[in-house]
Amino acid sequence: MHQRAIDEIFCCRSGRSVVVCRNDLRARVSWIGFERTVMSWFTFTWQNFLFSFLALAFEGLPFVLIGSLISGAIAAFVPSKIITGFLPKNGILATVVSGLLGLFFPICECGIVPVVRRLMDKGLPISCGVTFMLASPIVNPIVAFSTFAAFRAQAPWLNMGTRLALGYVVAVVAGLVVRGIDPASILRTGAVRVPSRKRLAFSVGPLPDAPGSGIGASFQEKLVAAIRMACDDFIDTAIYFMAGAAVAATFNTAVDQQIILPLALSPMLSTFSMMAFASILTLCSTSDAFIAATFVSFPIFARMAFMVFGPMFDLKLFFLYSVLFKKRFVIGLGVGLFVFIGIICSRVLIYLYAGQAL
Amino acid sequence: MRAKLCSLLNGVTLIGLGVVLLDFYFTGRLNQYLHPQFRPWTLVGGIIFCLAGIIYAGAKATTECCIEGECVHRNSNSLLRSALAFFVLFVPLAAGVALSKDSYDQHAVLNRGFVEDMSSLPGRSGVPVQKPSSAPVIPPQALGADNDESASEPLPQDTPNEQSNPNTVAAADQANPNVPSPSEQGGEQYLPKAADGNVALEVTDLLYGESEESLRKMFTGKTVEVIGQYLPGSDANQFKLVRMFIVCCAADARPIAVPVQISGPTSATEMGWVKVIGKATYTKNGDRVHVILKADEVEPTDPPAEAMLY
Repeated sequence: MHQRAIDEIFCCRSGRSVVVCRNDLRARVSWIGFERTVMSWFTFTWQNFLFSFLALAFEGLPFVLIGSLISGAIAAFVPSKIITGFLPKNGILATVVSGLLGLFFPICECGIVPVVRRLMDKGLPISCGVTFMLASPIVNPIVAFSTFAAFRAQAPWLNMGTRLALGYVVAVVAGLVVRGIDPASILRTGAVRVPSRKRLAFSVGPLPDAPGSGIGASFQEKLVAAIRMACDDFIDTAIYFMAGAAVAATFNTAVDQQIILPLALSPMLSTFSMMAFASILTLCSTSDAFIAATFVSFPIFARMAFMVFGPMFDLKLFFLYSVLFKKRFVIGLGVGLFVFIGIICSRVLIYLYAGQAL
Repeated sequence: MRAKLCSLLNGVTLIGLGVVLLDFYFTGRLNQYLHPQFRPWTLVGGIIFCLAGIIYAGAKATTECCIEGECVHRNSNSLLRSALAFFVLFVPLAAGVALSKDSYDQHAVLNRGFVEDMSSLPGRSGVPVQKPSSAPVIPPQALGADNDESASEPLPQDTPNEQSNPNTVAAADQANPNVPSPSEQGGEQYLPKAADGNVALEVTDLLYGESEESLRKMFTGKTVEVIGQYLPGSDANQFKLVRMFIVCCAADARPIAVPVQISGPTSATEMGWVKVIGKATYTKNGDRVHVILKADEVEPTDPPAEAMLY
């Protein structure tokens, strides 16, 4: 049953028999293997590195800035009680609702970290913050539209719905898992104020506004303070973004990416390799579906893993999350997401997509 | 004093970022890096960086930058961190202004591998003439799309006068079924012409022809002119004509290429821009059709205004 579902996904798209289809793919892999004997798998040049690195910086920095401006505005103009007032009092329900906030506040993964840090600083529970942070780059209207457009010839409603639903479920599960972990072992020291277990992990009560704070200041004072805070947030975050962009640019240009093609032959390997590829490419979630749609050698569930895992955890996000969380937690989060999404996509989505000719 | 220095250095870093972004935007170099949809964000970002940097450097520095009294930032009062921010954020971008060649060399092209299935690429809209991507100049009927379910991409066009009324032929065709359809007439009137009268095509057009019989009919036998980058082949009689296709930025660029056959040596340099004049030949190999461009002439040329395809 499982093998049949796999074969249907691999081969019915081309309308050819399973044997012919698989032989064709193997032939291509053999050809690439031959090519490998005359090409080095790693060729670094400054020209390629600079071009790719600058492209990532030009694309991402404005969005990091926008996220930081939102963060600064929240800090200066929004009292703590408003931040937590709209969430249900029940911690589990609050986590479940947090996964949908991206529908109303669409923020891509580049800008989400300063916003989440500010929200958690204002009293948002860590579980809700993690859920919002992981879900928002996927569960938002811009990504829904771009996924629909990218897969317009490949069951667009199914792919868009699956991506958003899977992104939401994974983010909520991650948030619920975080609820049971001591905040002190998650948050980086000084990343947010008062990492109290009660306040940040299990309650949604707001932090008190500090006495003599700027809440009563004039608009102009608040505006200047918001800009200063936004700039500090930006600098904190952008340093990590640039480090991630540098690593991604190296992999993008120096490593021969065709070496991954043989991995397309196995459901598990194809899924996990596509997730690894997503983390290396560090694409923007608003447009990564267009890239995923072009990997036609890979089955659709592997491409779905690419689109769900990439916006949640890639090279630049590894560095960005380190602004807020301890390294150990960031690594654990990455490994957990990698395994969880990989298993869902390669073991469960196969049945959803069987016979879909994708 | 230290706080003031930090503010000044952070302000300079932000202004520097803004200047670099604006420089790339206004000199047009940004066109090589980003899809048109992302470019306005760079302009907006550059302006905000400059303004924010001025405000940051000029505003009164306090020991507590966060409004509720407890600063969570590590850089605001650390000179070392401000210097690190300067070197990590500004210096690489400034170096890029001076050192970047705004293109990939052949190693990046070979490492990425060529796109094989053109139908999987998203719709293009980046031709020089602005037009809605959903409004093809060649009516789908002219391409035989109504008869061919695999026809997913229209031939991109950039001839302004042909854009004026894209549905005219289709409407006339539907109104009078006895009139031969444009595809039956060869669709020649829809093909864009270069200054010397040759049919001006993109690399993508020739590759779309591999899966689109109506396009093959239109291109076969005509002298076509195609611009791309020269990538040497395994022997002197062939090379690849390469263009890069991007979705959002150059970091995701994927090469697409047409093999070219030449009879003699060429003066083209690796990844240099060349104009190839010749005839497109489609050959069937099993269930796949492959295009080869048999060149009569290969000459170096200037890069097009939009070096990337979208």
